Amino acid sequence: MNDMRILERAVDTNEVKIAAKGVQVYYGDTHAIKDVNVDIQDRTVTAFIGPSGCGKSTFLRCINRMNDTIDIARVEGDIRIDGEDIYDKRVDPVQLRAKVGMVFQKPNPFPKSIYDNVSYGPRIHGLAKNKAELDDIVEQSLRSAALWDEVKDRLNAPGTGLSGGQQQRLCIARAVATEPEVLLMDEPCSALDPIATAQVEELIDELRQNYSVVIVTHSMQQAARVSQRTAFFHLGNLVEYGETGQIFTNPEDPRTESYITGRIG
Amino acid sequence: MTDATTPVTPRSKKSVSLTSPDARTQKRKAAEARFRMYGIAGIATGIFCLIVLLTSILASGTGAFQQTFISVQVYLDPAKLDKKGNRDPADIAKVSTFGYTPLIQQAVFDAVQQAGIETPLTRSKDMKALISASAAAQVRDVVIADPTLIGETIGFRILASSRVDGYLKDRVMREDVARDKNIDAEHLDLVDALVPLGIVEKTFNMDFITGADASESRAEAAGIGVAMMGSFFMMLVVLVLSLPIGVAASIYLEEFAPKNRWTDLIEVNIANLAAVPSIVFGILGLAVFIQFMHLPQSAPLVGGLVLTLMTLPTIIISTRASLKAVPPSIRDAALGVGASKMQAVFHHVLPLAAPGILTGTIIGLAQALGETAPLLLIGMVGFIASNAPDGIASGLLDPNSAMPAQIYEWAKRADPAFYERAWGGIIILLVFLISMNTLAVILRRRFERRW
Repeated sequence: MNDMRILERAVDTNEVKIAAKGVQVYYGDTHAIKDVNVDIQDRTVTAFIGPSGCGKSTFLRCINRMNDTIDIARVEGDIRIDGEDIYDKRVDPVQLRAKVGMVFQKPNPFPKSIYDNVSYGPRIHGLAKNKAELDDIVEQSLRSAALWDEVKDRLNAPGTGLSGGQQQRLCIARAVATEPEVLLMDEPCSALDPIATAQVEELIDELRQNYSVVIVTHSMQQAARVSQRTAFFHLGNLVEYGETGQIFTNPEDPRTESYITGRIG
Repeated sequence: MTDATTPVTPRSKKSVSLTSPDARTQKRKAAEARFRMYGIAGIATGIFCLIVLLTSILASGTGAFQQTFISVQVYLDPAKLDKKGNRDPADIAKVSTFGYTPLIQQAVFDAVQQAGIETPLTRSKDMKALISASAAAQVRDVVIADPTLIGETIGFRILASSRVDGYLKDRVMREDVARDKNIDAEHLDLVDALVPLGIVEKTFNMDFITGADASESRAEAAGIGVAMMGSFFMMLVVLVLSLPIGVAASIYLEEFAPKNRWTDLIEVNIANLAAVPSIVFGILGLAVFIQFMHLPQSAPLVGGLVLTLMTLPTIIISTRASLKAVPPSIRDAALGVGASKMQAVFHHVLPLAAPGILTGTIIGLAQALGETAPLLLIGMVGFIASNAPDGIASGLLDPNSAMPAQIYEWAKRADPAFYERAWGGIIILLVFLISMNTLAVILRRRFERRW
């Protein structure tokens, strides 16, 4: 692991984008997230690491209220984006999800054309007034997902016909197209080969310019490579949260140290 | 890791050659071969039964598609048909079929005489056994439509009686005729003589496919066409009602309903409804639609409503199965870009589930098309549908029969000529069912996730 590079990386002191306080999540009787407090900064890549079943994906799905779709899930506590409580009764999860985009573990493009995949979000949110604007959004989104050059000649080809890495970048383009402010990524590279992973990681680093990116990953190397801040979850607890360099070189908690050195997990 | 510390010692030193299988392996192989044989035997039995079924249906039913006709020149005698001689349609209409029967008998008799056939049947009345009872009505209809024909000699192709038809189709045998009061051996001799002359001929019978049912004594005139219209209107009702209701119910239950005791109860009940005997739906229809709501009896509308109740569980179950088969990642993807639940369902889930829904619907319709029992109770069986409906309203509300009900009706009549028509009706029904199932397969292939 290239520790030196991590230490040298500059961490911008950004304002807080997402503030979570005392978040508890229950799946039926299971207490999946126990009292998590975390402040996620704007224009930063924040990585959630931890062993399987530690609740990092669950917490991620709280941020855009995807847990609402699970009947038995119950969320308590306070999550604020730009100071607004997203669990307020007046908040429409549909609007929230347009603001907080999500990329899933397995590439899941719609079984439609590449163009339709990217244009779907803008279309349902009415972001484009006409076809030309929509074309622009599609092009820009595909460019920002570093996919434009590969697919510009076959926008009408099915999105599911792309390779795994391309599909995942298509999903990123689709998420970016709705102009979100936060981008949640749930193990976006776990189904990809090393080359595609490298491409997506590079992309994540570029997306940091405009978005607050939260990424869940099983790969500690990946967390070290792409993130500025890292949160370590264990058994539903947020054990440690801090600058990535510090977490990986000088963790405060013994559990964090055990995990990143491979003794637990 | 404790296993590694105990040294592994082979229990027996006996080494086995890989080229000569031991007893155990051979036994296993034999069991496998046996199992494969059972499977092949099962499939072979199935195919054999299917072939027997199809050949027997085709052998018994193809006769219904052919009919024996007699071509004769009928002299429309003004002395009998228009006694007043004023060609007034009202007066002509007063002459019943009894007035026409002697003319037709005379015409057949003349044809026999002209051909110079030697026959012991010396009176024109003796020709009665050759001619269908519906021939007089056929001629009468032509005359009433055009009274100016009276006085002329017109060529008609009239139906032969069902005995003559049966004789040419080997259904009526000479040895049986002795006990038959409808026809004698002399008549059969006469038919044998007339066939080479082309006066009596067996041709394809379009009337069987398009025509209406006929009374017990006129098997030769019965057709399944009107019953087919009845079935068509019933299917229309079933499709229009059960598809939207079924799909809406399934979407709600599958995508929106909370999972609690009530939805569990509904789910179990839908599954149970699919197994309820169809006659129960029939008596329900009788009680609710006819006795309580006073809808007309024997109407395809009521039949369609009853069959809708019967088809709904099938459609709901297959629709839910195909909605369930859509990967949840598609829903996540749609929700993730900010689609509402309804948008996710209608833009993404439903199109992917559509082939399954269509297949389920067509299978449900095919099931309803062949259903007879509920129709017994709402009066669509035993009714002789003689007029084709002349519009959608009359098609839905006028008494009618349905294909399976018509087949059942024919099968229980005494004349073997009706029995043949029952088989013919089954061929038509099967053609419909096979084409519906084929359509289901084609739709499934065509619209299944293309990429």
